[in-house]
Amino acid sequence: MELQGFMTDMVCSEFEDVVGQANVSRRDSDKIAYGVDYFWIGRMWADRGRALPAPEFIVRPGSADEVSRVLKIANYYKIPVHTWGGGSGSQGGALPMSGGIILDTKRMNRVVEYDEVSMKVTVEAGMNFQQLEWYANERGHSLMHYPSSLTCATVGGFLAHRGIGVLSNKYGKIDDMCLSLQVVLPDGSIIESLPVPKHAAGPDLNQIFIGSEGTLGVITRATFKLYEQPEERRFRAFIFKDISSGIAAGKEIIRKIHPSIIRLYDEAETISIIKEVLGVAKKGSFMNLAVEGIPEMVALEEKILIEICKKHGGEDLGGEWGKKWWDNRITFFYPGHIMDIPQLFGTMDTIGTYDNIEKIYWAMKHAVEDNFPNVRFIAHFSHWYEWGCMVYDRFIMDKPPEDPEEAIRLHNRIWNAGIRAALANGGVINDHHGVGLKLGRLMKEQYGPAMKVFEGIKKSVDPNGIMNPWKLGL
Amino acid sequence: MFSEKADKNAKSCRFCWMCRHLCPVGLVTGKETNSPRVKGLMVSLVERGYGYTAEMAADMYECCLCEACTNDCATGFEPPVFIREARTRAVVEGIAPPAVQKAIDDLLAKGNLYGKKPGKLASGYADELKGLPAKAPVALHIGATIACRAPEIAAAAIRLLKKAGVDFCVIGGELQTGAELGDLMGFVDDVRIVARAAAAQVDATGAGTLVVLDPSNARMFVRECGEWGCAPAAKVVTATSFFAGLVKSGKLKPEPLALGRVTLHDPCRLARDLDESQPSRDLVAAMGLDFKEMFLHGRMTKCCGGVILNNHSPQLTDLTSVGRWEDAARTGAKTVITACPGCHDVLGKKTPEGMRVEDIFVLLAKACGV
Repeated sequence: MELQGFMTDMVCSEFEDVVGQANVSRRDSDKIAYGVDYFWIGRMWADRGRALPAPEFIVRPGSADEVSRVLKIANYYKIPVHTWGGGSGSQGGALPMSGGIILDTKRMNRVVEYDEVSMKVTVEAGMNFQQLEWYANERGHSLMHYPSSLTCATVGGFLAHRGIGVLSNKYGKIDDMCLSLQVVLPDGSIIESLPVPKHAAGPDLNQIFIGSEGTLGVITRATFKLYEQPEERRFRAFIFKDISSGIAAGKEIIRKIHPSIIRLYDEAETISIIKEVLGVAKKGSFMNLAVEGIPEMVALEEKILIEICKKHGGEDLGGEWGKKWWDNRITFFYPGHIMDIPQLFGTMDTIGTYDNIEKIYWAMKHAVEDNFPNVRFIAHFSHWYEWGCMVYDRFIMDKPPEDPEEAIRLHNRIWNAGIRAALANGGVINDHHGVGLKLGRLMKEQYGPAMKVFEGIKKSVDPNGIMNPWKLGL
Repeated sequence: MFSEKADKNAKSCRFCWMCRHLCPVGLVTGKETNSPRVKGLMVSLVERGYGYTAEMAADMYECCLCEACTNDCATGFEPPVFIREARTRAVVEGIAPPAVQKAIDDLLAKGNLYGKKPGKLASGYADELKGLPAKAPVALHIGATIACRAPEIAAAAIRLLKKAGVDFCVIGGELQTGAELGDLMGFVDDVRIVARAAAAQVDATGAGTLVVLDPSNARMFVRECGEWGCAPAAKVVTATSFFAGLVKSGKLKPEPLALGRVTLHDPCRLARDLDESQPSRDLVAAMGLDFKEMFLHGRMTKCCGGVILNNHSPQLTDLTSVGRWEDAARTGAKTVITACPGCHDVLGKKTPEGMRVEDIFVLLAKACGV
């Protein structure tokens, strides 16, 4: 059903009644703001001057109660709802591809409770994560979630897409850091997960909504762990002759100690990005590590990792390059360093067990470089576990087709080839950027009949299918 | 058409989110358009054939040009470059918001944003001017915002200079530098003409040192006039720096003030644009105050909104002011000290109960017994 004639104005008045006139917009310039996120296709589309996907309404609630009332209205009129936090996702997850409503959460930006007894903080989901981190820093604490998008994204955005930061080896992913959630369901019910994340009271409600990308409801509040700032953080960099020896060292390290950072760059990325930003002009695979905490433990962990790296042939570059990498860790992502239009590019981060991870890397590299002329493939391995690690592969084509439709087709073919190579070798669709519009079509290929579980949940909580249509393959 | 420089910056910023956490307007409004990314996207779309609309123009004015985004950019891009040009275009095309156009008209006709008639601006500190020469080795520049909104700052500064035995003259509030016009309509020729005239008037005093009370004007004399080759012959120093020097040399001897805990709000024009934050702290220390730093201070300071935004969009500075007060409250301070009349004005309109905002020169005068 489409809203005809002045029906749009009638519905708009209802939204204004809930959130106030100043927080509902149908202005064209506001619509432009939501027509592009970090997804390559959206950016290319804008660069070519094409009409951007646009919502009919932008609604900016200031509380869970207002979200609830907005969703009740949306459900009654069966209007699609696209939840938008920072809009910095790379998978097109927040784009209003079906028009309808953009529900911008950024007015919900308050710290609700700061609990130094249990070391946890409860915050509204629209808060910018860097702002939250600074709030904790003021008190000598940290959330230890340091992704490159720390300054860009909101609390809810990281949760919706299962984000991860560079210190994950020690502190975990966002889904490890989150203790509890408040979610508004599509029918307007405001629900809370249990006050603690570890229990035997049935399946984990948190983990149903974390990573659901706005398809099952709107995350409005979350509680996170807090950490004391480490007394010391020490860096150490090494050059290995190849990724195999680096991976061997990495997995031995993570099984013996708890470094906060292990990042191993393949030879191609060592030459290109590492040399450009850090100035390390050595052949091989560059690895940066960090250990942190109490100085005595840091010294011991550093001694152990040096021994392990040397055992696997790593050339010790000392602490300077690692510190330099840390200081520049976000610089890599600024314009001028990061890939940008007109280049065609994408990050196909995936994860696998140690028996598969190199197979995955090589299969994806061949699938991309052998089938698509003039496409480069670079990668690094970060986010390590006792059982496996993530590979952050990126493809880059400097001169993609001028024609935007042709460019989209090529983009999608490269993605299909790369991801299917990962899936065929024990990888997954994505490690920490999410699925969104970009990869939704591949969800059924990955999950097979297990996809029914997600579809069942979706049908149960969102029978009208209003929440973020066509995302996550739902 | 935008300039090559503006286009290059817009193209770089349009798909970059890295500085959005610092935008004081974006943080308090939560509006996506209040981010350098979206403003850059709009400029780039206009360059690609989208029409430049009054809505877009209005969005370009929801920014205090505080340069927090520029300061944070690891690769040196400058959103204010394209935002200023977008404002120029809005004015040229007649689509600037009415409140902005009124501010420009007031500045062009009366030389100030506050509707005061020229020649009447010194009324708030007229007594202090008696007996001062027209020419002297040191000239004190007052500026329209102080003259119109906080004349007690001018009076305090003049009394302090007299107490320190400085041979000085005063350049009154009538002399605009182009700082406000440059923010409202971009750095166009009209603004350069105003800045040149201001520099020439400074030169006419024969002063070797120009002490500038309002950081916005100091930045204009130092940065823009420098770039345009019309800087005054005098050495330009900020008032905070000059008075800190007088204290250090013993020409001013402040006594301790009992204010309880205080914090400093660094004006962005002073701390970021001119990279000056230490003299304010030296003055606070000299007054024996119990000082605690706000988390965002120095070059990382968060703009309170500023006088321009306050003039044409006071509903926005209501929010930005509250945002900065929340930062201050977390220090436990009851008093926020500023060194900028604009900040004093904007923070003053939303002072929370039990807290207060004080100007640093007024406090110094009190500490020095004048």
